[in-house]
Amino acid sequence: MIAVSILNGLAIGLLLFIVAVGLSLVFGMMDVLNLAHGALFLAGAYAAWFVAGENPTMAGFLAALGVAGLAGIVAGGGLSLLTEPLARRSHLDQALLTLGVALAVAELMALAFTKDVRAVNPPRGLDRAIDLFDSQYPVYRLAPIGIGLLLAAATHYVVERTPVGALIRATVDDRDMVAASGIDVRVVRVAVFAAGSALAMVAGVLGSPIYSARPGLDITILILALVVVVVGGLGSVRGVLLGALLIGQVESLGRALLSDLASFLLFGTLAVVLALRPHGLFRVAGGR
Amino acid sequence: MEATAFNRLLSRRTLLGAAGAAGLLAALPGCGSSVGEQAATTAGGSIKIGLVIPQAGVYAPLGTDMKRAWDLFLERHNNKLGNYTVTTVTADEGETPQTGVPAVQKLLQSDRVDVLVGIVNSAVALGVKDMVVEAKKLLIVSNAGANDITGKARTPYIWRTSFTNSQVSAVMGKVLAGTAPAGVFAIAPDYAAGAEAIAGFTGTFQAGGGKVLGPAKPAFGKTQDYQPFLSQIQTSGAQATFCFFAGAEAVAFVKQYQQFGLSGKIPLYGSGFLTEGGVLTAQGDAALGVQTTLHYTSELDNPANKEFRSAYEGKYQAVPTVYAVQTWDAALVLDRALRKATALDGDTLSKALESVGSVQDSPRGPWTFEGQNPKQTFYLRKVEMKDGKPVNAVVRDMGVSGQPAT
Repeated sequence: MIAVSILNGLAIGLLLFIVAVGLSLVFGMMDVLNLAHGALFLAGAYAAWFVAGENPTMAGFLAALGVAGLAGIVAGGGLSLLTEPLARRSHLDQALLTLGVALAVAELMALAFTKDVRAVNPPRGLDRAIDLFDSQYPVYRLAPIGIGLLLAAATHYVVERTPVGALIRATVDDRDMVAASGIDVRVVRVAVFAAGSALAMVAGVLGSPIYSARPGLDITILILALVVVVVGGLGSVRGVLLGALLIGQVESLGRALLSDLASFLLFGTLAVVLALRPHGLFRVAGGR
Repeated sequence: MEATAFNRLLSRRTLLGAAGAAGLLAALPGCGSSVGEQAATTAGGSIKIGLVIPQAGVYAPLGTDMKRAWDLFLERHNNKLGNYTVTTVTADEGETPQTGVPAVQKLLQSDRVDVLVGIVNSAVALGVKDMVVEAKKLLIVSNAGANDITGKARTPYIWRTSFTNSQVSAVMGKVLAGTAPAGVFAIAPDYAAGAEAIAGFTGTFQAGGGKVLGPAKPAFGKTQDYQPFLSQIQTSGAQATFCFFAGAEAVAFVKQYQQFGLSGKIPLYGSGFLTEGGVLTAQGDAALGVQTTLHYTSELDNPANKEFRSAYEGKYQAVPTVYAVQTWDAALVLDRALRKATALDGDTLSKALESVGSVQDSPRGPWTFEGQNPKQTFYLRKVEMKDGKPVNAVVRDMGVSGQPAT
């Protein structure tokens, strides 16, 4: 039972990584606290239901992933332009703007898809359970593990080993200095916002067979992602990965072992991390 | 986090507004009651009824079903209950007492309704008790299932046409008693309704010699992934699972129960809300074979249900749910009571409801009030495919039962 919970925590944690990495980079890089990030995840989940249907084929599911990725790029670009005028203003102003966008989008989705739950089954071929550690485990949940690890490696490579990544890291560190060296920071900003939003919507498609699209899921995911980002440290890919893996275990193993404390565990972990390491597990050098 | 704070701010403002309105109205005492009495003395007058249903939040689909049944009843009775022409004022109960209590307050104090009908959330029903008693108005609860509403907190002004949480699950305890010698795993969210459901089940199941494993209590409204509990059920050695879930949680639990391969091995049982209405559509194939107890299913084979169902389907292109039937029956008993009542105050109407006796023409089958709560037939239901859609087919008639003593 414990082994299955650890495995499940890994699956949930890597799914959270895909959601949170965009949130973290956007915040770390341009100080924009994007509270519409949860709404993007929910939009992805609805996209899965809308494009692939309730019982998706593998092709349909992959198509939904593609559609969600493209829609995420567009939505991220839009959000980036929306928040641009507020770039020099306080977090509260940006939070109010993105919260407003989040509430409006959530209400529009409730109108479009009603308030009933829109469940999506795993794509055909992955919709069965296998024997693992003396109990059964759904095959589909191994997908976020594989995809999450791949994306983590890819993101890490891009951010740490390529010129583009150097630019992103430099912008996180000191935006003004990057601008002063003749680089258009706005392009970097739009690109990162778009990529982060695309990842959030892709995570929504991947998460739909686990969570089902429904009103309120956006807030749930937003809170989890915010906790991951704060625990991991802002603007650091490694930090987000570590934070996501930790929160995944708290949500899975923690609930299995300490089910009476389930409501307390998530924020308890956050409080402990903040008390011991106020800047998160991985503090970015020179970061805020 | 921010959104929660925002919601709180909003609801506080609504609350303050309602309190302000209440203060103004309190300055004009007697006004409403004298109007009410005048209307009542003339037979064939008019009656104003406040329909309290959730129009937003997680319970909104239930509110839709309730409103539909209410409108349908009035439409089929020339907009009359007894000899009274009905004016319906609908108020949004929302999701919690923070929205539900002010909604009732507004109906009583600013709309001056004669009778209240509806209420989904038990905390709202319990929260408005003092207000209803003080106003001496009749409230017919057509969903909220807390045992206390017609138990410990009983008042002559509050009646119920629905169920109590433990009444529904106690029937399942009887169904499973004598089966599953290795034990049944019980699971329900850790809030009042979940606890009452498990208590009702445990009472009758243990009385029949059964052994309850667990119970597990996932955090209410905060659990999206049931894996820790599903693993626990798998390793517990249980031969069956009893659960209580409603709404989005019912969808998540039933789906994941199937995804984790449990549905083929450890049969799933529960209170009927698990597979009632919109959630069943969302659960789809995952719900096949799930067995539940409830006092209604759209598949009931009786003349009243056939007529009700065809009228409901004709008007709304949707299959009626237990929530619709409970509100239909609220209108039904009110119709009877108003034929006898000489006034519209709570005391008179409460007396009139006492004399309603057995209701023979309800879609759920015959029932009577016992302690202001229905004593009614319960059915063991099983989810089966019918014309390509999942339905709750009747397996067995479990006989009549009232609310268990608490």
